Amino acid sequence: MTDQIPQAVTWALASALFVTAVLLLRQQGITRRQRRKNAGLADEVRAREEELRHLVLVRLPALADHPGQDLPGVGPLDTRLAGTEFGKGLDEVLTRFSGAVAHAQARADQSAKAALKASMRSIQALANEQQVSISEMQDRHDDPDVLRDLLEVDHTNAQFGRRAQAIAVLCGSWPGRQRSTSPLLEVVRGATSRIRDYRRIRINGQVDIAVESRAVEPVVLAVAELLDNAARHSQPNTTVEVTVQSVHNGACVVIDDAGVGMDGQAVDRATRLLAGRGEVDVTRLADPPQFGFAVIGVLARRYGFSVSVDTRSPYGGVRAVAFLPTALLTQLEPAAPEPAIDLTPVPDTTEPSPRPAVTEGTAEGTTDGGLPKRRRRTPRRTAAPEPEPAGTAEVSGRTPEENARIMGAFARGTRFGRAAGRILDEDEYVNADAAEADASTDTAPSAPHENEGTPHA
Amino acid sequence: MTPRRRPEGRLVRSYVVTDGRAHPTRNTLDLVTLLIAATDLPLTGLNPEKRRVMELCRPGALSLAEVAGHLQLPVSVTKVLVADLMDSGHIVTRAPIPAARPSDARILQEVLDGLRARL
Repeated sequence: MTDQIPQAVTWALASALFVTAVLLLRQQGITRRQRRKNAGLADEVRAREEELRHLVLVRLPALADHPGQDLPGVGPLDTRLAGTEFGKGLDEVLTRFSGAVAHAQARADQSAKAALKASMRSIQALANEQQVSISEMQDRHDDPDVLRDLLEVDHTNAQFGRRAQAIAVLCGSWPGRQRSTSPLLEVVRGATSRIRDYRRIRINGQVDIAVESRAVEPVVLAVAELLDNAARHSQPNTTVEVTVQSVHNGACVVIDDAGVGMDGQAVDRATRLLAGRGEVDVTRLADPPQFGFAVIGVLARRYGFSVSVDTRSPYGGVRAVAFLPTALLTQLEPAAPEPAIDLTPVPDTTEPSPRPAVTEGTAEGTTDGGLPKRRRRTPRRTAAPEPEPAGTAEVSGRTPEENARIMGAFARGTRFGRAAGRILDEDEYVNADAAEADASTDTAPSAPHENEGTPHA
Repeated sequence: MTPRRRPEGRLVRSYVVTDGRAHPTRNTLDLVTLLIAATDLPLTGLNPEKRRVMELCRPGALSLAEVAGHLQLPVSVTKVLVADLMDSGHIVTRAPIPAARPSDARILQEVLDGLRARL
Protein backbone atom coordinates (compact mmCIF):
# COMPACT_ATOMS: atom_id res chain seq x y z
CA MET A 1 0.00 0.00 0.00
CA THR A 2 2.79 2.36 0.91
CA ASP A 3 4.40 1.66 -2.44
CA GLN A 4 1.28 2.76 -4.19
CA ILE A 5 1.21 6.21 -2.67
CA PRO A 6 4.42 7.60 -4.26
CA GLN A 7 3.42 6.01 -7.52
CA ALA A 8 0.10 7.75 -7.40
CA VAL A 9 1.78 11.00 -6.55
CA THR A 10 4.13 10.59 -9.44
CA TRP A 11 1.28 9.90 -11.79
CA ALA A 12 -0.61 12.81 -10.48
CA LEU A 13 2.35 15.06 -10.87
CA ALA A 14 3.03 13.74 -14.31
CA SER A 15 -0.49 14.28 -15.43
CA ALA A 16 -0.52 17.73 -13.81
CA LEU A 17 2.63 18.59 -15.64
CA PHE A 18 1.18 17.33 -18.82
CA VAL A 19 -1.95 19.31 -18.36
CA THR A 20 0.06 22.36 -17.50
CA ALA A 21 2.22 21.90 -20.54
CA VAL A 22 -0.81 21.50 -22.72
CA LEU A 23 -2.39 24.56 -21.17
CA LEU A 24 0.82 26.50 -21.55
CA LEU A 25 1.08 25.57 -25.17
CA ARG A 26 -2.48 26.56 -25.77
CA GLN A 27 -2.00 29.76 -23.88
CA GLN A 28 1.00 30.52 -25.95
CA GLY A 29 -0.98 30.07 -29.13
CA ILE A 30 -3.74 32.21 -27.81
CA THR A 31 -1.28 34.91 -26.82
CA ARG A 32 0.40 34.82 -30.20
CA ARG A 33 -2.92 35.12 -31.95
CA GLN A 34 -3.90 37.89 -29.58
CA ARG A 35 -0.69 39.74 -30.25
CA ARG A 36 -1.16 39.44 -33.95
CA LYS A 37 -4.66 40.68 -33.61
CA ASN A 38 -3.56 43.53 -31.43
CA ALA A 39 -0.93 44.50 -33.92
CA GLY A 40 -3.52 44.45 -36.71
CA LEU A 41 -5.86 46.57 -34.66
CA ALA A 42 -3.11 49.00 -33.81
CA ASP A 43 -2.26 49.22 -37.49
CA GLU A 44 -5.85 49.89 -38.30
CA VAL A 45 -6.09 52.55 -35.63
CA ARG A 46 -2.90 54.13 -36.95
CA ALA A 47 -4.26 54.01 -40.48
CA ARG A 48 -7.45 55.65 -39.33
CA GLU A 49 -5.51 58.30 -37.52
CA GLU A 50 -3.43 58.86 -40.62
CA GLU A 51 -6.57 59.00 -42.68
CA LEU A 52 -8.11 61.49 -40.30
CA ARG A 53 -5.00 63.62 -40.35
CA HIS A 54 -4.98 63.43 -44.14
CA LEU A 55 -8.60 64.52 -44.18
CA VAL A 56 -7.93 67.51 -41.98
CA LEU A 57 -4.63 68.59 -43.50
CA VAL A 58 -5.11 67.81 -47.17
CA ARG A 59 -8.57 66.89 -48.30
CA LEU A 60 -10.58 69.56 -46.52
CA PRO A 61 -8.29 72.46 -47.47
CA ALA A 62 -8.27 71.21 -51.06
CA LEU A 63 -12.02 71.14 -51.02
CA ALA A 64 -12.18 74.57 -49.45
CA ASP A 65 -9.92 75.96 -52.17
CA HIS A 66 -11.75 74.38 -55.05
CA PRO A 67 -15.33 73.78 -54.07
CA GLY A 68 -17.32 71.44 -56.23
CA GLN A 69 -14.32 69.93 -57.94
CA ASP A 70 -12.80 66.47 -57.61
CA LEU A 71 -9.09 66.91 -57.48
CA PRO A 72 -6.72 64.00 -58.18
CA GLY A 73 -4.45 63.12 -55.27
CA VAL A 74 -6.77 64.15 -52.51
CA GLY A 75 -8.76 60.94 -52.21
CA PRO A 76 -8.44 58.63 -49.16
CA LEU A 77 -4.90 57.43 -48.37
CA ASP A 78 -5.83 53.81 -47.70
CA THR A 79 -8.19 52.34 -50.21
CA ARG A 80 -9.03 49.46 -47.79
CA LEU A 81 -10.97 51.91 -45.68
CA ALA A 82 -13.14 53.03 -48.55
CA GLY A 83 -15.91 50.53 -48.01
CA THR A 84 -15.95 50.57 -44.21
CA GLU A 85 -18.23 52.47 -41.93
CA PHE A 86 -15.30 54.66 -41.05
CA GLY A 87 -14.64 55.49 -44.71
CA LYS A 88 -18.29 56.24 -45.29
CA GLY A 89 -18.25 58.47 -42.23
CA LEU A 90 -15.29 60.38 -43.59
CA ASP A 91 -17.00 60.84 -46.94
CA GLU A 92 -20.07 62.07 -45.14
CA VAL A 93 -17.93 64.60 -43.29
CA LEU A 94 -16.47 65.74 -46.59
CA THR A 95 -19.87 66.09 -48.23
CA ARG A 96 -21.22 68.09 -45.33
CA PHE A 97 -18.14 70.23 -45.25
CA SER A 98 -18.23 70.97 -48.95
CA GLY A 99 -21.92 71.77 -48.68
CA ALA A 100 -21.23 74.19 -45.88
CA VAL A 101 -18.32 75.74 -47.74
CA ALA A 102 -20.35 76.16 -50.91
CA HIS A 103 -23.22 77.67 -48.98
CA ALA A 104 -21.00 80.10 -47.11
CA GLN A 105 -19.21 81.01 -50.29
CA ALA A 106 -22.42 81.59 -52.17
CA ARG A 107 -23.66 83.78 -49.39
CA ALA A 108 -20.42 85.72 -49.15
CA ASP A 109 -20.35 86.14 -52.92
CA GLN A 110 -23.94 87.23 -53.02
CA SER A 111 -23.55 89.80 -50.28
CA ALA A 112 -20.27 91.04 -51.72
CA LYS A 113 -21.89 91.41 -55.11
CA ALA A 114 -24.93 93.15 -53.67
CA ALA A 115 -22.78 95.57 -51.70
CA LEU A 116 -20.48 96.24 -54.65
CA LYS A 117 -23.39 96.63 -57.03
CA ALA A 118 -25.14 99.15 -54.85
CA SER A 119 -22.02 101.21 -54.25
CA MET A 120 -20.96 101.02 -57.89
CA ARG A 121 -24.37 102.21 -58.99
CA SER A 122 -24.03 105.39 -56.99
CA ILE A 123 -20.44 105.86 -58.15
CA GLN A 124 -21.55 105.36 -61.74
CA ALA A 125 -24.30 107.92 -61.32
CA LEU A 126 -21.80 110.39 -59.91
CA ALA A 127 -19.37 109.76 -62.76
CA ASN A 128 -22.14 110.35 -65.29
CA GLU A 129 -23.22 113.50 -63.53
CA GLN A 130 -19.67 114.73 -63.50
CA GLN A 131 -19.35 113.96 -67.19
CA VAL A 132 -22.38 116.09 -67.94
CA SER A 133 -20.93 118.96 -65.89
CA ILE A 134 -17.60 118.66 -67.66
CA SER A 135 -19.34 118.71 -71.04
CA GLU A 136 -21.26 121.81 -70.04
CA MET A 137 -18.07 123.46 -68.88
CA GLN A 138 -16.42 122.65 -72.18
CA ASP A 139 -19.32 124.32 -73.93
CA ARG A 140 -19.18 127.35 -71.67
CA HIS A 141 -15.48 128.17 -71.67
CA ASP A 142 -13.69 129.18 -74.80
CA ASP A 143 -10.17 129.28 -73.44
CA PRO A 144 -7.61 126.72 -74.61
CA ASP A 145 -5.98 126.56 -71.19
CA VAL A 146 -9.27 125.83 -69.49
CA LEU A 147 -10.12 123.34 -72.21
CA ARG A 148 -6.85 121.49 -71.69
CA ASP A 149 -7.58 121.05 -68.01
CA LEU A 150 -11.15 120.04 -68.73
CA LEU A 151 -10.00 117.45 -71.24
CA GLU A 152 -7.74 115.92 -68.63
CA VAL A 153 -10.48 115.84 -66.04
CA ASP A 154 -12.86 114.39 -68.60
CA HIS A 155 -10.37 111.67 -69.52
CA THR A 156 -9.83 110.64 -65.93
CA ASN A 157 -13.54 110.69 -65.28
CA ALA A 158 -14.20 108.45 -68.28
CA GLN A 159 -11.73 105.84 -67.03
CA PHE A 160 -13.17 106.08 -63.57
CA GLY A 161 -16.67 105.56 -64.90
CA ARG A 162 -15.57 102.56 -66.91
CA ARG A 163 -14.04 100.93 -63.85
CA ALA A 164 -17.21 101.39 -61.86
CA GLN A 165 -19.26 100.13 -64.79
CA ALA A 166 -17.11 97.03 -65.21
CA ILE A 167 -17.41 96.07 -61.57
CA ALA A 168 -21.14 96.69 -61.65
CA VAL A 169 -21.49 94.43 -64.69
CA LEU A 170 -19.45 91.75 -62.98
CA CYS A 171 -21.86 91.92 -60.07
CA GLY A 172 -24.79 91.26 -62.34
CA SER A 173 -25.84 94.82 -63.05
CA TRP A 174 -26.66 96.22 -66.48
CA PRO A 175 -24.11 98.37 -68.26
CA GLY A 176 -26.31 101.23 -67.28
CA ARG A 177 -26.55 103.71 -70.13
CA GLN A 178 -28.99 103.78 -72.96
CA ARG A 179 -27.50 105.05 -76.17
CA SER A 180 -28.88 105.56 -79.61
CA THR A 181 -27.84 103.36 -82.50
CA SER A 182 -24.28 104.36 -83.36
CA PRO A 183 -21.87 103.61 -86.20
CA LEU A 184 -19.44 100.82 -85.37
CA LEU A 185 -16.52 103.16 -85.88
CA GLU A 186 -17.97 105.56 -83.31
CA VAL A 187 -18.44 102.66 -80.92
CA VAL A 188 -14.77 101.72 -81.21
CA ARG A 189 -13.76 105.36 -80.78
CA GLY A 190 -16.07 105.54 -77.79
CA ALA A 191 -14.19 102.59 -76.33
CA THR A 192 -10.94 104.41 -77.06
CA SER A 193 -12.24 107.37 -75.07
CA ARG A 194 -12.32 105.29 -71.92
CA ILE A 195 -8.80 104.00 -71.65
CA ARG A 196 -5.64 105.63 -70.40
CA ASP A 197 -3.47 105.40 -73.52
CA TYR A 198 -6.06 106.51 -76.04
CA ARG A 199 -3.43 108.25 -78.17
CA ARG A 200 -1.73 104.97 -79.01
CA ILE A 201 -4.82 103.49 -80.63
CA ARG A 202 -4.94 103.56 -84.43
CA ILE A 203 -8.25 102.70 -85.99
CA ASN A 204 -8.32 101.45 -89.54
CA GLY A 205 -11.11 100.35 -91.80
CA GLN A 206 -14.28 101.91 -93.11
CA VAL A 207 -17.57 100.19 -92.55
CA ASP A 208 -21.04 101.55 -92.91
CA ILE A 209 -22.43 99.36 -90.15
CA ALA A 210 -24.07 100.59 -86.99
CA VAL A 211 -24.53 98.86 -83.66
CA GLU A 212 -28.06 98.46 -82.34
CA SER A 213 -28.91 100.81 -79.52
CA ARG A 214 -29.19 98.10 -76.86
CA ALA A 215 -25.75 96.69 -77.67
CA VAL A 216 -23.83 99.96 -77.95
CA GLU A 217 -22.82 100.33 -74.32
CA PRO A 218 -21.89 96.64 -73.78
CA VAL A 219 -19.78 96.55 -76.93
CA VAL A 220 -18.10 99.81 -75.96
CA LEU A 221 -17.30 98.39 -72.56
CA ALA A 222 -15.99 95.08 -73.90
CA VAL A 223 -13.85 96.70 -76.60
CA ALA A 224 -12.56 99.20 -74.03
CA GLU A 225 -11.40 96.34 -71.80
CA LEU A 226 -9.63 94.68 -74.75
CA LEU A 227 -7.98 97.96 -75.77
CA ASP A 228 -6.93 98.62 -72.20
CA ASN A 229 -5.34 95.16 -71.95
CA ALA A 230 -3.60 95.67 -75.27
CA ALA A 231 -2.25 99.09 -74.34
CA ARG A 232 -1.31 98.08 -70.82
CA HIS A 233 0.67 95.02 -71.87
CA SER A 234 2.71 96.62 -74.60
CA GLN A 235 5.51 99.15 -74.70
CA PRO A 236 4.41 102.76 -74.40
CA ASN A 237 6.06 103.64 -77.70
CA THR A 238 4.15 101.07 -79.72
CA THR A 239 0.73 101.53 -81.22
CA VAL A 240 -2.29 99.33 -80.86
CA GLU A 241 -3.80 98.65 -84.27
CA VAL A 242 -7.55 98.27 -84.47
CA THR A 243 -9.16 97.04 -87.65
CA VAL A 244 -12.87 97.21 -88.14
CA GLN A 245 -14.25 95.02 -90.88
CA SER A 246 -17.53 93.58 -91.89
CA VAL A 247 -17.69 89.81 -92.34
CA HIS A 248 -20.34 87.48 -93.68
CA ASN A 249 -22.29 87.00 -90.46
CA GLY A 250 -21.64 90.31 -88.82
CA ALA A 251 -18.65 92.48 -88.11
CA CYS A 252 -15.28 92.09 -86.46
CA VAL A 253 -13.15 94.37 -84.37
CA VAL A 254 -9.58 93.08 -84.50
CA ILE A 255 -7.14 94.46 -81.95
CA ASP A 256 -3.42 93.79 -82.44
CA ASP A 257 -0.83 94.78 -79.89
CA ALA A 258 2.92 94.54 -80.02
CA GLY A 259 3.20 93.47 -76.44
CA VAL A 260 4.49 90.52 -74.46
CA GLY A 261 1.78 88.08 -75.49
CA MET A 262 0.23 85.43 -73.27
CA ASP A 263 1.49 81.94 -72.38
CA GLY A 264 -0.63 78.83 -72.80
CA GLN A 265 -1.93 78.90 -69.25
CA ALA A 266 -2.99 82.53 -69.52
CA VAL A 267 -4.71 81.82 -72.82
CA ASP A 268 -6.59 78.91 -71.24
CA ARG A 269 -7.69 81.04 -68.34
CA ALA A 270 -8.72 83.86 -70.67
CA THR A 271 -10.65 81.50 -72.93
CA ARG A 272 -12.48 80.08 -69.96
CA LEU A 273 -13.40 83.55 -68.67
CA LEU A 274 -14.31 84.90 -72.11
CA ALA A 275 -16.75 82.05 -72.68
CA GLY A 276 -18.69 83.51 -69.77
CA ARG A 277 -19.77 80.10 -68.49
CA GLY A 278 -20.06 79.66 -64.77
CA GLU A 279 -20.46 82.28 -62.14
CA VAL A 280 -17.69 84.78 -61.69
CA ASP A 281 -16.54 84.84 -58.11
CA VAL A 282 -15.89 88.44 -57.22
CA THR A 283 -14.16 87.46 -54.00
CA ARG A 284 -11.62 85.41 -55.87
CA LEU A 285 -10.22 87.80 -58.45
CA ALA A 286 -6.50 88.20 -58.13
CA ASP A 287 -4.92 91.07 -56.26
CA PRO A 288 -4.85 93.57 -57.92
CA PRO A 289 -8.15 92.36 -59.35
CA GLN A 290 -8.04 91.30 -62.98
CA PHE A 291 -11.58 91.41 -64.10
CA GLY A 292 -11.22 92.50 -67.71
CA PHE A 293 -11.79 89.11 -69.29
CA ALA A 294 -14.44 88.21 -66.75
CA VAL A 295 -16.39 91.37 -67.59
CA ILE A 296 -16.11 90.72 -71.32
CA GLY A 297 -17.27 87.13 -70.74
CA VAL A 298 -20.34 88.27 -68.83
CA LEU A 299 -21.22 90.85 -71.49
CA ALA A 300 -20.53 88.52 -74.41
CA ARG A 301 -22.77 85.85 -72.97
CA ARG A 302 -25.53 88.27 -72.09
CA TYR A 303 -25.61 90.08 -75.43
CA GLY A 304 -24.57 87.29 -77.75
CA PHE A 305 -21.27 88.44 -79.20
CA SER A 306 -17.98 86.60 -78.86
CA VAL A 307 -14.39 87.50 -78.12
CA SER A 308 -11.28 85.42 -78.62
CA VAL A 309 -7.68 86.14 -77.69
CA ASP A 310 -6.03 82.88 -78.67
CA THR A 311 -4.28 84.10 -81.80
CA ARG A 312 -0.91 85.75 -81.95
CA SER A 313 -0.71 89.17 -83.48
CA PRO A 314 1.62 89.77 -86.41
CA TYR A 315 3.37 92.28 -84.16
CA GLY A 316 4.25 89.55 -81.67
CA GLY A 317 1.63 90.33 -79.06
CA VAL A 318 -1.95 89.22 -78.73
CA ARG A 319 -4.61 89.51 -81.39
CA ALA A 320 -8.03 89.96 -79.82
CA VAL A 321 -11.03 89.54 -82.08
CA ALA A 322 -14.48 90.67 -81.08
CA PHE A 323 -17.12 89.26 -83.36
CA LEU A 324 -20.52 90.96 -83.42
CA PRO A 325 -23.28 88.90 -85.03
CA THR A 326 -25.76 90.42 -87.44
CA ALA A 327 -28.43 90.46 -84.73
CA LEU A 328 -26.59 93.27 -82.95
CA LEU A 329 -25.95 95.28 -86.08
CA THR A 330 -27.93 97.41 -88.42
CA GLN A 331 -27.15 99.11 -91.66
CA LEU A 332 -26.02 102.69 -91.35
CA GLU A 333 -28.35 105.02 -93.13
CA PRO A 334 -26.29 107.25 -95.35
CA ALA A 335 -26.83 110.91 -94.55
CA ALA A 336 -28.41 112.67 -97.49
CA PRO A 337 -25.63 114.76 -98.98
CA GLU A 338 -26.41 118.42 -99.36
CA PRO A 339 -26.49 119.44 -102.99
CA ALA A 340 -23.20 120.91 -104.00
CA ILE A 341 -23.32 124.45 -105.20
CA ASP A 342 -21.41 125.64 -108.18
CA LEU A 343 -19.14 128.29 -106.81
CA THR A 344 -17.95 129.57 -110.17
CA PRO A 345 -19.05 133.13 -110.84
CA VAL A 346 -22.06 133.39 -113.04
CA PRO A 347 -21.94 135.56 -116.18
CA ASP A 348 -24.08 138.59 -115.60
CA THR A 349 -26.90 137.88 -118.03
CA THR A 350 -29.80 139.06 -115.99
CA GLU A 351 -30.21 142.55 -114.73
CA PRO A 352 -28.55 142.95 -111.38
CA SER A 353 -31.05 142.52 -108.64
CA PRO A 354 -30.70 145.33 -106.15
CA ARG A 355 -31.38 143.07 -103.23
CA PRO A 356 -29.06 140.15 -102.51
CA ALA A 357 -31.08 137.16 -103.53
CA VAL A 358 -31.00 134.64 -100.76
CA THR A 359 -32.96 131.48 -100.49
CA GLU A 360 -34.88 131.66 -97.34
CA GLY A 361 -34.87 128.20 -95.90
CA THR A 362 -38.12 127.02 -94.59
CA ALA A 363 -38.06 126.01 -90.96
CA GLU A 364 -37.00 122.42 -90.97
CA GLY A 365 -37.62 120.61 -87.74
CA THR A 366 -37.10 122.05 -84.34
CA THR A 367 -34.32 121.92 -81.80
CA ASP A 368 -34.52 120.08 -78.53
CA GLY A 369 -35.65 123.27 -76.92
CA GLY A 370 -38.57 123.58 -79.33
CA LEU A 371 -37.13 126.46 -81.33
CA PRO A 372 -37.18 126.32 -85.13
CA LYS A 373 -33.91 125.26 -86.67
CA ARG A 374 -32.14 127.76 -88.80
CA ARG A 375 -31.17 126.58 -92.22
CA ARG A 376 -28.14 127.54 -94.13
CA ARG A 377 -28.53 130.68 -96.21
CA THR A 378 -26.90 130.01 -99.49
CA PRO A 379 -26.10 132.74 -101.94
CA ARG A 380 -27.96 131.93 -105.12
CA ARG A 381 -25.45 131.58 -107.85
CA THR A 382 -27.27 129.41 -110.30
CA ALA A 383 -27.14 130.72 -113.79
CA ALA A 384 -30.80 131.31 -114.47
CA PRO A 385 -32.89 132.51 -111.55
CA GLU A 386 -36.35 131.06 -111.63
CA PRO A 387 -38.92 133.64 -112.82
CA GLU A 388 -40.69 135.15 -109.91
CA PRO A 389 -44.39 135.99 -109.89
CA ALA A 390 -45.18 139.45 -111.16
CA GLY A 391 -46.31 140.87 -107.84
CA THR A 392 -43.29 139.78 -105.85
CA ALA A 393 -40.98 140.85 -108.62
CA GLU A 394 -42.36 144.34 -108.32
CA VAL A 395 -41.93 144.32 -104.60
CA SER A 396 -38.40 143.06 -104.73
CA GLY A 397 -37.53 145.51 -107.46
CA ARG A 398 -38.16 148.62 -105.37
CA THR A 399 -35.41 150.97 -104.59
CA PRO A 400 -35.16 152.49 -101.12
CA GLU A 401 -36.44 155.76 -102.58
CA GLU A 402 -39.55 154.09 -103.94
CA ASN A 403 -40.13 152.39 -100.62
CA ALA A 404 -39.84 155.70 -98.85
CA ARG A 405 -42.26 157.33 -101.26
CA ILE A 406 -44.83 154.62 -100.77
CA MET A 407 -44.48 154.75 -97.02
CA GLY A 408 -44.69 158.53 -97.10
CA ALA A 409 -47.87 158.43 -99.15
CA PHE A 410 -49.35 155.91 -96.75
CA ALA A 411 -48.45 158.10 -93.78
CA ARG A 412 -49.90 161.17 -95.49
CA GLY A 413 -53.10 159.33 -96.29
CA THR A 414 -53.66 158.18 -92.74
CA ARG A 415 -52.80 161.57 -91.36
CA PHE A 416 -55.16 163.24 -93.74
CA GLY A 417 -57.92 160.85 -92.84
CA ARG A 418 -57.41 161.49 -89.15
CA ALA A 419 -57.25 165.21 -89.62
CA ALA A 420 -60.54 165.09 -91.56
CA GLY A 421 -62.10 163.08 -88.77
CA ARG A 422 -60.90 165.59 -86.26
CA ILE A 423 -62.43 168.41 -88.26
CA LEU A 424 -65.74 166.60 -88.34
CA ASP A 425 -65.66 166.08 -84.65
CA GLU A 426 -64.82 169.64 -84.10
CA ASP A 427 -67.71 170.71 -86.34
CA GLU A 428 -69.98 169.01 -83.90
CA TYR A 429 -68.28 170.88 -81.13
CA VAL A 430 -68.90 174.07 -83.06
CA ASN A 431 -72.60 173.49 -82.63
CA ALA A 432 -72.10 173.02 -78.95
CA ASP A 433 -69.48 175.60 -78.22
CA ALA A 434 -68.72 178.25 -80.86
CA ALA A 435 -65.74 179.76 -79.06
CA GLU A 436 -63.87 176.51 -78.82
CA ALA A 437 -64.73 175.63 -82.40
CA ASP A 438 -63.06 178.80 -83.59
CA ALA A 439 -59.86 177.97 -81.84
CA SER A 440 -59.89 174.40 -83.23
CA THR A 441 -60.61 175.33 -86.82
CA ASP A 442 -57.66 177.67 -86.67
CA THR A 443 -55.27 174.84 -85.98
CA ALA A 444 -56.92 171.88 -87.70
CA PRO A 445 -56.73 172.92 -91.37
CA SER A 446 -53.04 173.55 -91.01
CA ALA A 447 -52.41 169.84 -91.04
CA PRO A 448 -53.56 169.14 -94.62
CA HIS A 449 -51.55 172.09 -95.71
CA GLU A 450 -48.48 170.66 -94.18
CA ASN A 451 -49.26 167.40 -95.91
CA GLU A 452 -49.55 169.01 -99.26
CA GLY A 453 -46.31 170.70 -98.63
CA THR A 454 -44.41 167.51 -97.87
CA PRO A 455 -42.15 166.94 -100.77
CA HIS A 456 -41.87 163.64 -102.48
CA ALA A 457 -39.04 161.88 -100.94
CA MET B 1 -39.78 127.76 -72.11
CA THR B 2 -39.53 124.02 -71.94
CA PRO B 3 -36.79 122.76 -69.66
CA ARG B 4 -33.70 121.77 -71.54
CA ARG B 5 -33.29 118.05 -71.94
CA ARG B 6 -30.22 116.64 -70.31
CA PRO B 7 -27.85 115.78 -73.09
CA GLU B 8 -26.91 112.19 -73.64
CA GLY B 9 -23.19 112.11 -73.03
CA ARG B 10 -21.19 111.96 -76.19
CA LEU B 11 -19.83 108.52 -76.97
CA VAL B 12 -16.59 109.89 -78.41
CA ARG B 13 -15.11 112.34 -75.96
CA SER B 14 -13.52 115.61 -76.98
CA TYR B 15 -9.94 114.56 -76.18
CA VAL B 16 -10.20 111.71 -78.67
CA VAL B 17 -11.54 114.11 -81.29
CA THR B 18 -8.58 116.48 -80.89
CA ASP B 19 -6.08 113.76 -79.97
CA GLY B 20 -5.60 115.37 -76.59
CA ARG B 21 -4.81 118.85 -77.84
CA ALA B 22 -6.61 121.90 -76.51
CA HIS B 23 -4.70 124.69 -78.23
CA PRO B 24 -5.58 125.46 -81.83
CA THR B 25 -2.54 126.00 -84.03
CA ARG B 26 -3.69 129.54 -84.77
CA ASN B 27 -5.64 132.06 -82.78
CA THR B 28 -7.32 133.89 -85.63
CA LEU B 29 -10.59 132.05 -85.29
CA ASP B 30 -13.66 133.32 -83.58
CA LEU B 31 -17.34 132.43 -83.50
CA VAL B 32 -18.29 134.28 -86.67
CA THR B 33 -15.33 133.35 -88.83
CA LEU B 34 -16.69 131.98 -92.09
CA LEU B 35 -15.28 128.65 -93.17
CA ILE B 36 -15.04 127.73 -96.82
CA ALA B 37 -14.01 124.25 -97.85
CA ALA B 38 -11.46 123.63 -100.56
CA THR B 39 -13.13 121.37 -103.07
CA ASP B 40 -10.11 119.81 -104.69
CA LEU B 41 -8.39 118.16 -101.73
CA PRO B 42 -9.03 114.51 -100.87
CA LEU B 43 -10.51 113.68 -97.49
CA THR B 44 -8.35 110.65 -96.81
CA GLY B 45 -6.56 110.67 -93.51
CA LEU B 46 -9.05 112.95 -91.82
CA ASN B 47 -10.82 111.77 -88.74
CA PRO B 48 -14.63 111.54 -88.87
CA GLU B 49 -15.18 114.95 -87.25
CA LYS B 50 -12.89 116.73 -89.71
CA ARG B 51 -14.57 114.90 -92.54
CA ARG B 52 -17.90 116.14 -91.23
CA VAL B 53 -16.61 119.72 -91.08
CA MET B 54 -15.65 119.40 -94.74
CA GLU B 55 -19.04 117.97 -95.63
CA LEU B 56 -20.75 120.82 -93.82
CA CYS B 57 -18.68 123.51 -95.48
CA ARG B 58 -18.63 122.12 -99.01
CA PRO B 59 -22.09 123.37 -100.06
CA GLY B 60 -21.34 126.93 -98.94
CA ALA B 61 -19.68 128.96 -96.27
CA LEU B 62 -20.64 128.34 -92.66
CA SER B 63 -19.61 130.18 -89.55
CA LEU B 64 -17.50 128.41 -86.98
CA ALA B 65 -20.29 128.62 -84.42
CA GLU B 66 -22.68 126.87 -86.79
CA VAL B 67 -20.16 124.14 -87.54
CA ALA B 68 -19.71 123.59 -83.81
CA GLY B 69 -23.47 123.39 -83.43
CA HIS B 70 -23.82 120.82 -86.21
CA LEU B 71 -21.01 118.71 -84.83
CA GLN B 72 -22.39 119.06 -81.30
CA LEU B 73 -18.89 119.85 -80.10
CA PRO B 74 -17.73 122.70 -77.89
CA VAL B 75 -16.58 125.74 -79.84
CA SER B 76 -13.07 125.50 -78.40
CA VAL B 77 -12.75 121.92 -79.62
CA THR B 78 -14.08 122.89 -83.05
CA LYS B 79 -11.42 125.59 -83.24
CA VAL B 80 -8.69 122.98 -82.81
CA LEU B 81 -10.17 120.92 -85.63
CA VAL B 82 -10.65 123.87 -87.96
CA ALA B 83 -7.13 125.16 -87.29
CA ASP B 84 -5.80 121.73 -88.30
CA LEU B 85 -7.89 121.80 -91.46
CA MET B 86 -6.55 125.26 -92.25
CA ASP B 87 -3.00 123.98 -91.80
CA SER B 88 -3.63 121.16 -94.23
CA GLY B 89 -5.27 123.56 -96.67
CA HIS B 90 -8.70 121.98 -96.49
CA ILE B 91 -10.41 125.09 -95.17
CA VAL B 92 -9.96 128.74 -95.92
CA THR B 93 -11.52 131.39 -93.75
CA ARG B 94 -13.06 134.69 -94.55
CA ALA B 95 -13.77 137.61 -92.30
CA PRO B 96 -17.44 137.80 -91.40
CA ILE B 97 -19.76 139.67 -93.71
CA PRO B 98 -19.93 143.28 -92.44
CA ALA B 99 -23.14 144.47 -90.94
CA ALA B 100 -25.71 145.93 -93.34
CA ARG B 101 -25.10 149.52 -94.49
CA PRO B 102 -26.96 151.94 -92.27
CA SER B 103 -30.05 153.37 -93.92
CA ASP B 104 -30.03 156.58 -95.80
CA ALA B 105 -30.01 159.59 -93.50
CA ARG B 106 -32.64 161.24 -95.64
CA ILE B 107 -35.12 158.45 -95.07
CA LEU B 108 -34.48 158.56 -91.39
CA GLN B 109 -35.03 162.30 -91.40
CA GLU B 110 -38.27 161.82 -93.24
CA VAL B 111 -39.48 159.21 -90.78
CA LEU B 112 -38.53 161.53 -87.95
CA ASP B 113 -40.44 164.39 -89.54
CA GLY B 114 -43.43 162.20 -90.11
CA LEU B 115 -43.42 161.03 -86.51
CA ARG B 116 -43.03 164.56 -85.20
CA ALA B 117 -45.90 165.77 -87.35
CA ARG B 118 -48.09 162.95 -86.14
CA LEU B 119 -47.44 163.30 -82.44
